Order: sequence, then structure tokens, then C-alpha cells
Amino acid sequence: MENVIEIKNLTKYYGSFFWKKPVPALHDLTLDIPIGAVFGFLGPNGAGKTTTIKLLMDLIKPSGGEASILGYPPDNVEIKKQIGFLPDEPVFSSYLSANEFLDICARLLGVPSRERKGRIAEVLSIVKMTKHAKAKLGGFSRGMVQRIGIAQAILNRPRLLILDEPLVGLDPHGRQELKDIILHQKAGGTSVFFCSHILSDVEKICDSLGILYEGNLLCAGNLDELLQDTGVRLHIKPEHDKIAKTLLSEASETVKLPDGGWELTFLNNKEVKQTLLGIKEQYKDAVIMIPAKENLEKFFFRKIADATRTN
Amino acid sequence: MKGMNEIGAVAAGTWHRILRMRVVYVLIACVLILIGSAYRYDVLSLGQHRALMVDVSLLLNTLAAILVAISIVFEISREFREGVATTLLSKSLGRTQYLVGKLIGISIAGVVITGLIAIGFGVIFATAFDQVAKTMIMGHLLVMASVIPMSALAILFAIVLPESIAAIVTAIVIWFAHSATTLSGIKIIYGGILPDLNLFNLKAQAAYTYLGGIGGQYLLLAFLWGIVYSIFAMSLAGIIFGYKDLK
Repeated sequence: MENVIEIKNLTKYYGSFFWKKPVPALHDLTLDIPIGAVFGFLGPNGAGKTTTIKLLMDLIKPSGGEASILGYPPDNVEIKKQIGFLPDEPVFSSYLSANEFLDICARLLGVPSRERKGRIAEVLSIVKMTKHAKAKLGGFSRGMVQRIGIAQAILNRPRLLILDEPLVGLDPHGRQELKDIILHQKAGGTSVFFCSHILSDVEKICDSLGILYEGNLLCAGNLDELLQDTGVRLHIKPEHDKIAKTLLSEASETVKLPDGGWELTFLNNKEVKQTLLGIKEQYKDAVIMIPAKENLEKFFFRKIADATRTN
Repeated sequence: MKGMNEIGAVAAGTWHRILRMRVVYVLIACVLILIGSAYRYDVLSLGQHRALMVDVSLLLNTLAAILVAISIVFEISREFREGVATTLLSKSLGRTQYLVGKLIGISIAGVVITGLIAIGFGVIFATAFDQVAKTMIMGHLLVMASVIPMSALAILFAIVLPESIAAIVTAIVIWFAHSATTLSGIKIIYGGILPDLNLFNLKAQAAYTYLGGIGGQYLLLAFLWGIVYSIFAMSLAGIIFGYKDLK
């Protein structure tokens, strides 16, 4: 098995009833997620991301196509012992304490009874909720519920982690902690499939991604390969202000750094590239030259705009 | 048995939730007060207040059993609506296991609640009159057993119908099923699909402490009939639920 998730021509229509016109939610999706990847699934609201995740978790039934998860069809109950899942807008039984809820989850995930207590304490510590272990879930804030959701998702030390909008509801500190948890899971050999709207965070933690728009997959692949080389970025040290000023008019983007230096971005252009190489040669210690890549946000909006035009 | 741990987890979650509600104990207290108050109807009942107390206890206990059964409609619908079921079913839990867990959970809660009412009645009756007769115990045991088929019916309707309609339909069907003897002429209704909940009604025998051939065997057969009917209803619910999309 090379892929943790294999999706072939997966299609989902909602509301296909006798008198109701079916609403397409996902159209002919074909996608493979390799083992060990952190895969970001992006798309605007209503693109079909949550529908895909629900199909993978067998929470809804497909109208066509097929999928396999860790080599088994989604309706295989046993394989779910190796999957961690955080739903979109997690809601848990409000009358239970965090400990009681996680104990039920551990039982459902087949965690042996002698290990349960230790495992629950471990995940509560990871999500920094140990002091709320005995508090009722009904009194938790959105962010706290999200943390408990993450705790139940990693309770079984999963081989595959599926997260639907995991960063929603978390403060910046919480978001950073979650990113660290995801990267820690990845380091431990867990593959991660998640969807999010927070593109800057996706860019930081994903090594591959797919963009979904109106139920159609626009692109999928390695992040580095997808993002285009847009030109060159030049870091000029503060003491070489003069060099910077001669180049300002040529740059597509200029940023004055807090230390007095400059960061200038130049678009792909043969003549400009020659000039810059000359400067780099002449002032070796004064400038640092790095290839500039399109950021994920620009890439995302470019893809969506292209798809909107095509439609 | 494989899957029992998962079913047990769902069942425990269900009966814990119901038995933690304070309102349940307030209702049990109210029921026991009403049963006890039957003692004061000696004039109105022309001295039949002993039989009246037995009758009232079985009637109110049956109503409690019906309320418990209907409560599972709201419980399941709430779990679907809020997404709690989504979290549970994303674990190593089959859809039929989820339903069976719910049935066991609500049945345990129902047996505890109706059992408390039965014990309360026993104490009141023994204090007011004399020892509790065997038929009275059998009557209450049957009410406790009736929670199982009624809950199975409620779960079936909760899967098939929207929340409010499911609750109303469950109540109507249970009412029809309790009136099996009176309405037995309507062949369409009593073609074997609806349960005969009248099997669980020993009010007449209990009130007048008359056994007349009804013994432990009847109790066992009625209980087994309830189990068989529950398996039928749950199988149907499981098949339908297998195709259902969750929120």
C-alpha cells in the first residue's frame, strides 16, 4: 500500500428524491494521498471538502465511484481503529466530563482498558486540557471543545488523521499548538488529511495539497511543485542603502525591513535577472538573493479565478 | 462477543444521560405521590381503593415506560442534529451497533425508572394494606419488560421520520398497540407488524389478585415475545439506517 487514501471517480448528489432535483456536491473526484503526507484540502465554502471527508468516514453514502482508506473501503468498521477524525463543528455530549467523553471514545476505538487512563491523561496533556479533565463539556468554550476534539482524534495513536477545519475556533496560540501537534504526528509516521480556510497555516504545515471548487478538483500535488517561481527576492543589508535605491524602480515589491535593510522582489525577466546577477557578483556580502515563489494565497485565488472564468 | 465493548459504551452513555436528569426523580416522586393518594379514594371508589391503588400504580408505571421509550426519539434525533452521532460513528462502531447500544441503554434506564416506581408502590401498598401479591409483582415486571419493544419501535421511527413527527407517531402506535384487544378487529393494523403491548397488561389480574393460569411461564413468554419483536424492529431500523446520510 503506497497511499493512505485512494479516491476514484467519487461522486455525491444530495437530495436525490423522487420529486427533488439532485444537488451535485462532488463530481468525479479522483485523488491519491501518499503515506506520510500532510495533505491540505482547500476550497471555498460549498466546494465539497466536508462531503469528501464524510464519504471517507462513511458518514454519508456515495452516489458513484469508490474510495479506500488505509487499503479498506470506508464502511470497514475495524479500520477506523487506526484513524483519528475531527469533525467540522465538533459537538460532544454536554453532560459528560472531558475524562468520561474520552473514555467512551477510547472504548469505541478499541484502546485496551489497562491503557485507557494513561492514554487519556497523555492526550489531555498534549492539548493542554489536563486541568479541565473533570469539567463538563457543556461548559466549554468553542476553542476548548476543539481541543477536546483534537484529543479524541489522536487518542488511538492513528495511522491516518482526518481533520475538518481543525484551526477554527482556536486563538493564535492554540493554532500554533495545533500546527505543532500535526507536525509531531507527522514526525511519528501519521499521515494527515485536513481541510482549512486559513491558507497561511496550510502553507506552513502541508507538503501537498488539493483545491476543490464546486465539487471539482482543480489541482492536486506537491506544494513546492504547484507554486510557481515568480522571480527573485533580494535582501540588501542596511549599510548598502544606495544599491537598494538604484533598484527600487525595477522591483515589483519593496519592503523596508526594521533593521534598515531592504527586501526587493523582482518578477521573472531576463534583463532584470542579468542586472541582479551582476550586482550579486559585485557586492557579494551586501546582498542575499533567493528565488521568489508564489505564495499559497495568490496561487489559491489564481486557481479559483481561472475556474470561475472557465465556468 | 465482538463489538460488545462498543455497544456497551453507547448503552452506558445513554442510560447515564437519562438517569442523571433530576427531572426523572421528580417525576418518580410525583408518580408515587399519586399512587399513594389512591388510598384516600375509599369513599369515591366505594371501598375499592385497594384495587384502585394497584390499577393506578400499573397505569402510571406504564405511562412512565412510554415516556422513557419516547425520550429515545428525542435522544437519537438530538445526536443526529448536533453531530454527536457523527463523532461516535466515526469510531470503530457499526451503525447497527449504535442502534443496539441505544436500545440497551434506554431499556436499562427504563427498567431502573419503572423498577423504582414498582418498589415505591410496593412500599406504599405494604404500608397501607398488607403484603404485595404475586400478580402485582408480575404486573409491574411486565411493565418493566414492555420498555424494550416500545423503545425498539421508538428507535425505528426516530431513524425513519423527522424528530417531532417520530415522537407523535411513536405515541400513537404505542397507544394502538396497547389497545390490541379493543382494536383487534382492524386486520390492517394487527397484521403482525404492530406489537401487541396488551400482552404486558396484567391490570385486571393484579387489581383483584387473580392469577387464573398466568404464571412465570407467561412472564417469560411475554418477555421473549418482546425481545423477538425488538429484534425485528431493530433489524428494520438497521437496514434503513445503513443507507442514511448523517449530518
